[in-house]
Amino acid sequence: MASADKPINTDVPEKDVFALHFLQSLSNLRRQNTFNSPEKTNDRVKKIKKAAYVSMARAAGGTNRLWSRALLRRAAKENNKIVRFPRRKKRVTCLRRRSNRRDPVEEEEAERLRNLVPGGGGMGTSKLMEETAHYIKCLSMQVKVMQCLVDGLAPK
Amino acid sequence: MDLTGEFEARSYGGGATREATRLESLHLGDEFRQLALPPENAGGFTALLELPPTQAVNLLRFTDSPSSSSQAAAVTGIAPPPLHSYGTLTFPSNSVLMERAARFSTDYHQNGNVSGTSSVPSNSSVKTEPAETDSSQAVNNRSGKRKDSDKKAKSSTKKKRNKSSEENEKLPYVHVRARRGQATDSHSLAERARREKINARMKLLQELVPGCDKIQGTALVLDEIINHVQSLQRQVEMLSMRLASVNPRIDFNLDTILASENGSLMDGSFNGTAMQVVWPHQVTETEQSYHHRQLQQPQQWPFDGLNQRAWGKEEDQDHGQ
Repeated sequence: MASADKPINTDVPEKDVFALHFLQSLSNLRRQNTFNSPEKTNDRVKKIKKAAYVSMARAAGGTNRLWSRALLRRAAKENNKIVRFPRRKKRVTCLRRRSNRRDPVEEEEAERLRNLVPGGGGMGTSKLMEETAHYIKCLSMQVKVMQCLVDGLAPK
Repeated sequence: MDLTGEFEARSYGGGATREATRLESLHLGDEFRQLALPPENAGGFTALLELPPTQAVNLLRFTDSPSSSSQAAAVTGIAPPPLHSYGTLTFPSNSVLMERAARFSTDYHQNGNVSGTSSVPSNSSVKTEPAETDSSQAVNNRSGKRKDSDKKAKSSTKKKRNKSSEENEKLPYVHVRARRGQATDSHSLAERARREKINARMKLLQELVPGCDKIQGTALVLDEIINHVQSLQRQVEMLSMRLASVNPRIDFNLDTILASENGSLMDGSFNGTAMQVVWPHQVTETEQSYHHRQLQQPQQWPFDGLNQRAWGKEEDQDHGQ
């Protein structure tokens, strides 16, 4: 238990994967009849935003990352869809040890981070930081993709 | 007098074997062994070392109350030299203790990465053995030492603890103070390991977030990380708003989107036609590496074929509109 795990894996797929997932979700959105016509852009904005996050979660890790699982579960709940995830072995022990992992000085910051990162409530501090690192990488990738898209569409 | 002189000289010489032989040479051997050293029957030297406190107690008992038992009387009847010897015999036991302490500290120093030495006395074995029997021995030995120096450091800030841990890692040994047996050993060890884990991940995050290298102090670094995450999320929201406003203006044809995507994604330039040739190769490579949809059409780029494979019915419906 006292051994440190040396390789912390925060690999993130290439931009193309994110682009493909996002474009696919956008085309799915466009298929909906009520998408393009209404003048109310707020709903569209929300839908696009949600599609962006969901596609990012799928592209980045699927169900292998805690934050992506939490994101997908949250999105599915809003759509009233039931999503099933394969059970991970470590889940129960994580819950049991939660109380032992929250004593340090930086607890307030960790709390703020938990509010920001999806699924942060159930993680210990060290796991939280791992997930944050991966989350930051994926977010920046998604932002790049969306920026390219917007730039590509704008001049026309 | 000569005997006592010998005693003192040899006791400071430090050889415990000499003490045993001296005891015998005093001709006290039998009574002494019966009275004071019954547990030493096993093996003279080592037994002597194993039980210096009891031996000292026994010796002291003899010096204090010589008349307590007939055996004591028999012993004291032997004459002044025995009393002297008893008086000085306490010395050897003390010196034995001192030797043990010295040897213990040197052993502990050498014990840095070696597991399981039996000569380490009990009050340290509580600490080092659970550390040493772990799978990652070196790490845990160091962590045990670090923990001790932490307890001495009495600093509550995380930064200082980090510094002391780094210093101890560089030194080949740690200055060890005599410690009491501590009940929270495994807890403090685990705490130490956990603290290291968190620090490692903090370093990782520092590398990710631009501008975090210069900052000292974990609270500020965490602040910076939180700001970065918030800014990224705000950017996503901004871009999605822009996309939503852009969408209805354009005939959102996936062909044109992908065509324009080529340049912007690959090089940041807008050479759509030139990039169309490049894109399929790069896309196929990355796609293969991630086991996503099969976009394999290396030499050709028939868009309809691609769309049929990748997007399936959706594209047909779009074109149908």
